[in-house]
Amino acid sequence: MTDIRIEVTGLKKSFGSLDVLRGIDFASERGTSTVLLGPSGSGKTTLLRSLNVLDTPDSGVVRIDDVSVDFSALPPGKAGRAEGARLRAQSGMVFQSHNLFPHRTVLQNLTEGPVVAQKRPVDEVVAEARSLLDQVGLADKADSYPYQLSGGQQQRVGIARALALKPRVVLFDEPTSALDPELVGEVLAVIKDLASEGWTTVVVTHEIRFAERVADQVLFLDGGVIVEHGTPGQVIGDPREERTRKFLRRVLDHG
Amino acid sequence: MRQVFRGAVLLLLLLIVVPAPANAQQEQPPLVRVGTEGTYPPFSFHDPQTQELTGYDIEVVKAIAAKAGWRLEFVETQWDAIFPALDASRIDLIANQVSRNPERAAKYGLSSTYTYSRGVIVRRTGDDRIKSIADLSGKTTAQSSTSNWAKVAREAGANVEAVEGFAQAAALLQQGRVDAIVNDNIAVLDYLATTGSKDVEIAGDAGQAGSEQVLALRQADSALLSQANQAIDALKADGTLRGISQKYFKADVSVQDGGAADLSEGRGPRSTGDILASTAWPMFVGLVKVTIPLTALSFAIGLVLALLVALARISPYKVLSGLARAFISIIRGTPLLLQLFIVFYGLPQIGLKFPPFTAAVVAFSLNVAGYAAEVIRSAILSVPRGQFEAASTIGFGYAQTLRRIVLPQAARTAVPPLSNTLLSLLKDTSLGSVVLLTELFRESQLAAAESNEFLALYAFAGLYYWVICVALSAGQKRLETRLNRYVIA
Repeated sequence: MTDIRIEVTGLKKSFGSLDVLRGIDFASERGTSTVLLGPSGSGKTTLLRSLNVLDTPDSGVVRIDDVSVDFSALPPGKAGRAEGARLRAQSGMVFQSHNLFPHRTVLQNLTEGPVVAQKRPVDEVVAEARSLLDQVGLADKADSYPYQLSGGQQQRVGIARALALKPRVVLFDEPTSALDPELVGEVLAVIKDLASEGWTTVVVTHEIRFAERVADQVLFLDGGVIVEHGTPGQVIGDPREERTRKFLRRVLDHG
Repeated sequence: MRQVFRGAVLLLLLLIVVPAPANAQQEQPPLVRVGTEGTYPPFSFHDPQTQELTGYDIEVVKAIAAKAGWRLEFVETQWDAIFPALDASRIDLIANQVSRNPERAAKYGLSSTYTYSRGVIVRRTGDDRIKSIADLSGKTTAQSSTSNWAKVAREAGANVEAVEGFAQAAALLQQGRVDAIVNDNIAVLDYLATTGSKDVEIAGDAGQAGSEQVLALRQADSALLSQANQAIDALKADGTLRGISQKYFKADVSVQDGGAADLSEGRGPRSTGDILASTAWPMFVGLVKVTIPLTALSFAIGLVLALLVALARISPYKVLSGLARAFISIIRGTPLLLQLFIVFYGLPQIGLKFPPFTAAVVAFSLNVAGYAAEVIRSAILSVPRGQFEAASTIGFGYAQTLRRIVLPQAARTAVPPLSNTLLSLLKDTSLGSVVLLTELFRESQLAAAESNEFLALYAFAGLYYWVICVALSAGQKRLETRLNRYVIA
């Protein structure tokens, strides 16, 4: 097991009669950034949510670091949920609409998980949380409530909240899609910093330019399968598949 | 928050586990619980000066207890609940001018007679349509529906409007809502003398036969009955009964033909201000000692139950959600008064007997649970899906998510409708008056029965309720402001 942080094998998921993931295989090396591209309905968000079991795959194996779950053999009920929770604990999630806890201050949003769920000492967690806020440029907002922040600031708190859990992997679900255009830059800058600091990240995004600059690996999904994968230079710069080219043309024209 | 929940659950358990007061110790004389109206002067009423329960029947039963060696506990309830209370063993004996009749003799243990009286017909002054019992046919009378007088009126062909006690009946007659009343001549004389009313008058006797009043016991308590009878005989022999009767009626009603009762001196009319002044304090005590604790306890326990029911209702387990749905449907689909009666009178028949306060807490908290469960359910569902997801990504399980993330946000949505539930509950506790609870409203009823000052006394009781409601509403506003601090800039 060299430096493979995430390994996904034969992942399938359907909602009712709709097959959303039809056999996904990929791997991410430690410290790399993987970007998932694809038209809406391609399954990229479901794939991301499967990595942290917000959606439970029907079959296939997901391994993150030393936790591996075979969803084909997931026991029913409580035992299955416990396995899912173990895998979930390996990653931090940043949502499209941030999903900050509105009744908690910024600092409390960060400390809630480490203190209550991970039961780590409060002093230590608070100190770390403050330095994380400093890192995302919001040290002075620790005692604000989420509603008092701009959309970009809220999303940066969302990122810091995910990092506070000290996850093996950070997952981003379209982290800039809900933002006003002028706020996108500050959030992408933070994500870019994480990549350069050695965090392993998986990002679902429509920001092609960002993917070009930051990604180590790009996966292009359509119809529940990975159509094409490789470096940004290969997939974005010189796509081999017609479906990829069509998608890129459309996105770049609009973007 | 956690401690409050835990405390409330513990209390609920305690209330359920300790349903009845511990039995009296062997050496002590037997405790006899006496059911009486407390609103039937001059037999059973509250002395307006001292607020003490007194009257002819009260003094007689006290004298009997002294002879028989009983300890007494008086339980006040309106007439129509007295026999059910005896059946349910909430009381052991009724001292409230129970008239002997064949039905009662068959079902209950009836003592020797301690009052001989006769029924009279009361009409609005000068209403010549009503002169004798025969004229009641097709007319409407006001009676306690299960009383012997109601039976007499029905047999004469009258429609009987059910009321709680003679004072209410007299008010209805005066207001022209009914045509007549059949009642005991002594009670009527007392009313006329006390109120000085010229609006109603005695039209004549209700039939030829006199009526005999007795104590009623359960048939199974034959030992208690024979003690009572021995005591009554002894009290007749030593003149005690005659003495009590003379004091109240200036005649001896404990024997047949002991002279005509004379109550013309009455108990003296009093001013409305006097009556209010002397009633304000007992009403306040009823408010503080019963109404408020009953409301607070029922609400706290009801909320905990409501949360559990709401969670069951939204759980994916079909059996759980089905049970919760059925519970909510039953609670919301039946009258609160009926629920209260089921708990208080019904459950003892299957061996679940609670003291009055506990029974009321059980009924009211179940009722609150039924209504609040729907409020809490929709409040939980109003919390965005993303909050549940975010909570699970930071490692929270179900309980942590609920307690730390979902419920604090749901509270914002739930507070206004739950405040309504609380206000309704406060006012609904007045129904406790029908299950032997001497709460605020019951105190005003007691005072009204003795004084006939319905308007002033009920308005005054209303003022108490209103003040508490205003205070609660102010509390609601503060709580809403607090809960809104993280959404309003």
